[in-house]
Amino acid sequence: MTIQKTKNGSELIIAPEGRLDTMTAPELEAELKASLDGVTALTIDLTELEYLSSAGLRVLLSAQKTMNNQGEMKVTGVNETIMEIFEVTGFSDILTIE
Amino acid sequence: MMNSNQEILTIALAGRIDSGNAAQTEADLQARLAGKGNISVILDASELEYISSAGLRVILRVKKAYPELKIINVISEIYEIFEMTGFTEMMTVEKAYRLVSVEGCEVIGEGANGKVYRIDGDNVVKTYKNADALSEIQHEREVARLALVLGIPTAISYDVVKVGDSYGSVFELLDAKSFSKLLAKEPERFDWCVAEYVKMLKKIHSTEVPEGKLPPFKEKVLTAIRRTKDVLPEGLGEKLVQMTEAIPESDHMIHGDYHTKNIVLAGDEVLVIDMDTLSVGHPIFDLMRMYSAYIGYSENDPEIILKFQGFDQTTARRFWHESLAEYLNTADEQVIGDVENKVRCLSYGYLIDWGTRHHADADLILLWKTRLIELLPLIDSLTFEVASAAAGAANEMDVEATTDNLQTVIDFIDARLEAVDCPMKSQMQMDIAVEEIFVNIANYAYAPGKGNATVRVEVSGDPVTVTITFIDRGVPYDPLKKEDPDVTLSAAEREIGGLGIFMTKKIMDDVSYEYKNGQNILTLKKKI
Repeated sequence: MTIQKTKNGSELIIAPEGRLDTMTAPELEAELKASLDGVTALTIDLTELEYLSSAGLRVLLSAQKTMNNQGEMKVTGVNETIMEIFEVTGFSDILTIE
Repeated sequence: MMNSNQEILTIALAGRIDSGNAAQTEADLQARLAGKGNISVILDASELEYISSAGLRVILRVKKAYPELKIINVISEIYEIFEMTGFTEMMTVEKAYRLVSVEGCEVIGEGANGKVYRIDGDNVVKTYKNADALSEIQHEREVARLALVLGIPTAISYDVVKVGDSYGSVFELLDAKSFSKLLAKEPERFDWCVAEYVKMLKKIHSTEVPEGKLPPFKEKVLTAIRRTKDVLPEGLGEKLVQMTEAIPESDHMIHGDYHTKNIVLAGDEVLVIDMDTLSVGHPIFDLMRMYSAYIGYSENDPEIILKFQGFDQTTARRFWHESLAEYLNTADEQVIGDVENKVRCLSYGYLIDWGTRHHADADLILLWKTRLIELLPLIDSLTFEVASAAAGAANEMDVEATTDNLQTVIDFIDARLEAVDCPMKSQMQMDIAVEEIFVNIANYAYAPGKGNATVRVEVSGDPVTVTITFIDRGVPYDPLKKEDPDVTLSAAEREIGGLGIFMTKKIMDDVSYEYKNGQNILTLKKKI
């Protein structure tokens, strides 16, 4: 997995690419932890994400919890398979998916 | 054992024996026995309807005077009384058995000890030639039960019946066809038979048996080989004995008579039957019996294999060769040939003893001996690598359960799924499930220590179904018992975690768990 990061003032776009699984989720978690200070609009762009397991979901949930206290978070570029995962896990109701 | 020179007196017991007539019954018995001296007594209980403790005491006193006392034809209600009061352990008590006629019934199997007949649609009876049939039936029942508990699919008899002068055990076998019959009548299923036959053999060989539950097969073979030694040239016989002695002991199961008549397809389930030879030992002993069955016994006469198995010698040889190749998991003729020669050595050594004791065709025994004498100088050991053979099946892997190995497991699964053209979406979903389960095992099964997990992938059926099985020997844990997370809660209320098994359940069509033989076994199924 690689992580693309675009910051524009208090807006941050994070785009993980490849596989977000048990092995790579801690990377994204660390990246978010280090970058969210002062961010009020977070976009997580999943266009290039191929695979997402529950470890990845946990990172997304944790980011959502943080953003609930300081601004807004949306998730973009969700493909059909990943959308299905969001749906069965109830994440489609928690996350703002565009 | 009853001394056959001894006179046997059979006395019938009838009606009720209770405190009201026990004294009278005892007096009657004494009168019948008076002056008979050293005889064996059998009480025929076929007309006995009831016996109270007063009656039991009468029997005990007879038993004291005639230690070989035997009670036969006991109806089941009375047998229960004998069982409850411990009489069945003190003396021979034989149940009354239902009579079954096998006249005109189809013979569906035949082994060294008797024939198997189909008595009606789904029921078969296995008859026993030997005089001591009841204890044999008892033994087979016990080992079949043990095998079943250890995970080997087999049939267990549900009734013992009288067949002519002997006994039989009755099994329910739905629409059963032996593999011999399949090979003879449906040659297009040859490859399928090889695959299933070897899969079952590997399953048996990978089964660990608790100590003392099954006899070591090696002892039986050694006894035979030591007798064969005496008919072999000086030095060669010794060599064969030494090599046999050097075969390592094992606590893994072997069948002892694993040929295609003993493997049946019942409905769509493959079962192993004829469990009386079940033992523990090195796999070479099963291979030895297989070589004998397919080649050894019929080595100089193709009619024998046709008569015994129902398929011809060419099929038999091909089946043996393909099965061995599959078992060893190789197409390398050099490797197969090396193992085959070891197997042949042991097989001839065992057969020569069997043939000599059973007055087999002298030419055949001579042929075995000639072949053995040719082979022995070329062989230095009877063992071969079992680990790669038994565990290295292409659809199974055994890895240390650590998250570092997750990618290895995913790659292994993906390779199998790609081989069957699994749609991308299903593959990704199954990867998610595999990750959840494997990571779970890695994090919790052996904590704080480490251990291995076995991952197996099977693809079968129509619609195509993928079955993924995870086996670990860690702490017993049923992940399906975990409560599903509440997916309707808001982000703030949601707990981080608890999602993995829930997703797995949603993604797969079926998830089941069992704890067996100290193993957590989690099976995931999905139609693709």
